[in-house]
Amino acid sequence: MRVAPGVRPTDFASALGEFERVVGKDWVFTSDADLDLYRDAYSPFLNEPEERTASAAVAPSSTEEVQQIVRIAGRYKVPLYPISTGRNLGYGGSAPAYSGSVVLDLKRMNRILEVSEAGAYALVEPGVSYFDLYRYIQERKLKVWIDCPDPGWGSVVGNALDRGGGYTNANYRNHFDSHCGMEIVLPNGELLRTGMGAIPGAQTWQQYKSGCGPWVDGIFSQSNFGVVTKMGFWLMPQPEAYLRGAVSVPRYQDLMPLVETLNLLENSRITTGFPDLSSPLLGYPPIGQLQLLIERGPPAISDAHRQLLGGAALGFSPELEAFGVRSGIPYWELFLSYYGPMEVVDAQWQATQRHFARIAGAKFRVVDRTPLPVDPARIEDYHEAEHGVPSLRVFSIGARTPWNPTPSKGHMWFSPIIPRTGEAIIEANRVFGEAARSLEMPLFRTFTLPACFWERSFIFILATPVTEDPAVNRRYREGFKKLIEVGGRHGWGEYRTAPVFQKSVMDVYSFNDHALQRFHATLKDAIDPDGILSPGRYDIWPRHLRGKHA
Amino acid sequence: MTPVRALIAVLGLASADAGTAAEAPAPEHAAGQAVYAKWCAPCHAPGVTHPGTHALMTKYQGIKSGVLLDWNDLPAVTVKYWVRHGISVMPHFRKTEISDAELDQLAAYLARNTPGG
Repeated sequence: MRVAPGVRPTDFASALGEFERVVGKDWVFTSDADLDLYRDAYSPFLNEPEERTASAAVAPSSTEEVQQIVRIAGRYKVPLYPISTGRNLGYGGSAPAYSGSVVLDLKRMNRILEVSEAGAYALVEPGVSYFDLYRYIQERKLKVWIDCPDPGWGSVVGNALDRGGGYTNANYRNHFDSHCGMEIVLPNGELLRTGMGAIPGAQTWQQYKSGCGPWVDGIFSQSNFGVVTKMGFWLMPQPEAYLRGAVSVPRYQDLMPLVETLNLLENSRITTGFPDLSSPLLGYPPIGQLQLLIERGPPAISDAHRQLLGGAALGFSPELEAFGVRSGIPYWELFLSYYGPMEVVDAQWQATQRHFARIAGAKFRVVDRTPLPVDPARIEDYHEAEHGVPSLRVFSIGARTPWNPTPSKGHMWFSPIIPRTGEAIIEANRVFGEAARSLEMPLFRTFTLPACFWERSFIFILATPVTEDPAVNRRYREGFKKLIEVGGRHGWGEYRTAPVFQKSVMDVYSFNDHALQRFHATLKDAIDPDGILSPGRYDIWPRHLRGKHA
Repeated sequence: MTPVRALIAVLGLASADAGTAAEAPAPEHAAGQAVYAKWCAPCHAPGVTHPGTHALMTKYQGIKSGVLLDWNDLPAVTVKYWVRHGISVMPHFRKTEISDAELDQLAAYLARNTPGG
């Protein structure tokens, strides 16, 4: 039997026995074979001793059981690591941040407590996946859309708590921002409801976010201050129609006004769908076509074009630009999506064209214009997530295909936030490109475009592969940390990261001698002095472990 | 024909991809089919839009179908191994996701055409 660190074997055995009395023997896991299922399938420590593993796992089916487990863990000082669906692949998966913690597996808490079509919201438990919620809505023919990330098996609650994003309208894409109301089991086992949920008999728990007084919801995301057992989400009423238009511009410098105009239109809510930036001339596809390219293979380009690409620096050479202009291949192409009544999306697209027309040579085309929802038989023609439809198609990244004969063992996402300007895209490519080359990291090898999940900022989301070779994985891990530091020196930080990089990332957020990290520690000491919940998550440690872990 | 499409035609990938119509399972496999539909089909249903199928099509190069449901050499024990161990970018599945009983049903369903499966 494995034992959690810092816990006497007899105490650990007692705790496990008490867990069994709460959830039943079938839902406490202690054998090596069962605990292997809690390994991070994409661990960058594949087959290395530093891999973070669980000492046991316990899977409750209700909030009351979570409360009892947390109280038992508190009595025996057993560290717990809650997971929702455990599918946070590339950001840590189902493995604990502090090796030897007991994984608190919430997958069995998979109840969809309410979906209101008229109110356009849902209230769910952490084990509910995007697939589950989507199927529930479809079976009942409710006219609401979910907003999902690419992997549909993720937890609606867990993804929001990790501050993930999706692909529909801006006010739903940020999954934490689109939540409304939480229920939380605190480290002492007490139950807390936030926002209007703090009123007994609340009538507007899923209608008004902040209640009154300090709004504490944020501290339960990317943290270890409580176990979220219910969470409300605002849903988008099923839109009547969809329009996807493309704006293309011919010259490298057009990137600057292209982004400026996008920002104006997005901040004015004239364009509301997921903006998708691409470069036909550089061969950089929009995210919406990435899966098609992986499935069908890269488009053929001429030898002359390929040669010019090889001679470009930071995605530019005068010859390449001249070639693009001559051949009618745009330097940049921005795809914009609109959801709403047909006459409204048409008007939005018209206003969009008027604004972009100030860029000389700008061209416009309607990629799609259709009533919604699209025919399910045609959904694979689309990037499903932009239609609120979950899938697992994104796993083609890294999987074996005719164009990728050596599949990876997983990936770690390098995902820094940078400013929403064309200049920042170029500067980030310069800075990260130079660093990645010197570190022999397989990132920024060619000019790389960021994504527009969030309003007001860009984000790169780049897969660093996990391989079978520990030496390569070690180099990539160290390189990853260095890239985080390099970003930090330029005022850029990651939005989210796997446990192995959480210290490096949080060290970047160091204004005023790490005031933010010290505040997190103050909260930890007040809320969870014994460090029962997720020690080390986002580098927040209980006092007895602080400063002792990388 | 683009080089990519030519490659697909030469390797017979397109034909390997076709012809797997959704079939109604025998009553004893209804539960296994439900597990398959929930947990496997998103990656293993027919067509290159399903990464597991695309990977297997690439691996077997037309020698056999990339669609698990077509296989007649997939013993139950093999299904159980891959579900609990994963391979490449396919992760392993926990017992809170697919219980041992559900895995038995799934494995029996996928092995239904395998002699001695």
